[in-house]
Amino acid sequence: MAETGTFKCLRCGHEYEDKYTPKVPQERSCPKCGSNSVRRIGPK
Amino acid sequence: MMDVGRHPRIKLMAYSEIEHVSGFIGNFHVKVRKKARYVDESECTACNDCVKDCPVIVPDEYQQGLSSRKAIYIQLPQAVPSAYLIDMENCLGNNPIACGKCLDACEKKCIDFDMQDEIVNLEIGTIIVSTGMDVYDPTEMDEFGYRSFENVITSMEFERLICASGPTEGHFVRPTDHKLPKKIAFIQCVGSRSEKLGRNYCSNICCMNTIKDTLLLADHYPEVESKVFYIDIRAFGKGFEDLYMRSKESGVNYIRGIPGDVWEDPETKSLNLSVEDTTNGKVRIHEADMVVLSVGVEPRKDMKPLQQLLTLSSNADGFLLESHPKLKPVDSPTRGIFYAGCVESPKDVKDSVTQASAAASRASIILNAGKVTIEAITAVMDPDKCNFCGVCSRVCPYHAIEPADKKSGTYPNIIQAACAGCGTCAAECTMDAISMRHFTDAQMISQIDSILERNPMEKVVAFACNWCSYAGGDLAGTCRVQYPTNIQLIRTMCSGRVDEKFVIHAFKKGAPIVLVSGCHFSDCHYISAVQWTQRRVEKLWNRLERLGIRPERLQLEWISAAEGQRFGRVMRAIEEMRQKVTEEEVKETIEILKKEEEKERAKKVKREAALQPAAAV
Ligand code: SF4
Ligand code: SF4
Ligand SMILES: [Zn+2]
Repeated sequence: MAETGTFKCLRCGHEYEDKYTPKVPQERSCPKCGSNSVRRIGPK
Repeated sequence: MMDVGRHPRIKLMAYSEIEHVSGFIGNFHVKVRKKARYVDESECTACNDCVKDCPVIVPDEYQQGLSSRKAIYIQLPQAVPSAYLIDMENCLGNNPIACGKCLDACEKKCIDFDMQDEIVNLEIGTIIVSTGMDVYDPTEMDEFGYRSFENVITSMEFERLICASGPTEGHFVRPTDHKLPKKIAFIQCVGSRSEKLGRNYCSNICCMNTIKDTLLLADHYPEVESKVFYIDIRAFGKGFEDLYMRSKESGVNYIRGIPGDVWEDPETKSLNLSVEDTTNGKVRIHEADMVVLSVGVEPRKDMKPLQQLLTLSSNADGFLLESHPKLKPVDSPTRGIFYAGCVESPKDVKDSVTQASAAASRASIILNAGKVTIEAITAVMDPDKCNFCGVCSRVCPYHAIEPADKKSGTYPNIIQAACAGCGTCAAECTMDAISMRHFTDAQMISQIDSILERNPMEKVVAFACNWCSYAGGDLAGTCRVQYPTNIQLIRTMCSGRVDEKFVIHAFKKGAPIVLVSGCHFSDCHYISAVQWTQRRVEKLWNRLERLGIRPERLQLEWISAAEGQRFGRVMRAIEEMRQKVTEEEVKETIEILKKEEEKERAKKVKREAALQPAAAV
């Protein structure tokens, strides 16, 4: 089931909320700079 | 198709489903469920006697529901084998037999209500997947009123209506009054090339199909006026432009613009279309007696189970991904499995036949040779180091590793013929029990060392996968896209090969920034290996943070072979990040990692000591 998490772009620092499914890797890109270095920072 | 049915060396298993596939190239074991058709196909002569007596009437799927069939039926007139079957979902009932009229009608006694599904196990050398495609259902596109107005039909329904073996025996009539429509509007790209619908691809066949339809109409019914509403006409095949010209010369009106709305005149049941002609910006209302929606094609809805059975990946559109778009367009990423037709991408008959011939040749080369030559980039096991954790067989996208079993002392077995060499297992094995031929740990480490040997503060270590990121870099080069030369690439076959220890080693050697880059998820040439890359990088970000190292210094990027410009942009952005990393930060990182290494070493010594027998006392 999809949950909502906080993601942080490790290139530009932009933080945003998005859906994710635990344990299912998903290709992400930062809505601001387009980088794929997007890390889920919460909820832990 | 008849030739296939008669060929002494082709065993045709119609009305059957694949239930299980195991093994590898040259040695596939396939379990097939041959569904009971309740009619002995070798005896049935398709005489039609049974059909006359069957009381059940249901819509005929082959005729797009425009006519009906019985519960005992033949799917299409040219079906091979030419034998009937009973659709048990609609039959009045078996066990006990509720009707059985067909049973009495069949003089040859081919009907057998006790027939059971049959399981057939096959030993197969190669597999060709040619399961075709589905056609887009335009119901969701309210603007065209497909389900609301009877005279709005799809191109598939048009096909049945104009076909001699169709429900009207080729007499072209419109559904509401069974009269010849005088004005027909074709709307192109329905369910194709639409970002709004999430269906960005071109369906490839619809333009030419409509051109063919307009020519058919012009030939058979010159009095019919045809209009085609289009985004652009794609007539790129041999002789296609000529057909397009012929269609225009025959009086067909091609209007560049897609109707925004279609509505019906409730009395005449004719239709009005409001369209902006994009060549002059004028909005006009066009009248038509019938509207034909030129629907696109899509991957089969029941594709997923087969895809999983054969460990095949699909691209973002859902069509199966080929091994290489230019060099191996008929090969799947799994060795010994090939594609033919629309399962791989939308294509017309000619391209499907071409691909099918190529797939058959590719398959028979392997079968005739009796052995396969594989690239020597495969994984190898060192059983002495293995602790039977089983991770390697779980992560292998090709199921190329037979699992370990601690109880029986069986080590994981890497099937060399099935291994594609992605390196995921080697990167995931924490015991270093797996290494890769040609992309060995030692080779990778020495590349990192040589990059960082001099002026490490000025370098960025970038791991780039062979098929996408590295090729993206190549494209950037050939397109003269500027990117900083201090970003130094280390090629791996797949980003899945990038072991945690390579990244940590680079930081230990003073790298200010490390980049891991691979294919976009949908382009991964190793099915799903890229997902393991992502997991590993996420794990590394956590580890770096725990140790007090900024996770930002490890960057992750997905760059395709076609994204030369993006490659340049990413590299320039990463170079900017590098310039902000200070020497103190790098020194501190080296210290932290050294300490961590020492701690780990001490823990290992302790662990090993605990495992030693007490005899030493
Ligand atoms: S991952 Fe490594 S240790 Fe675990 S079973 Fe495979 S080879 Fe053995
Ligand atoms: S290298 Fe890749 S394909 Fe080969 S065994 Fe390891 S995980 Fe499977
Ligand atoms: Zn960003």
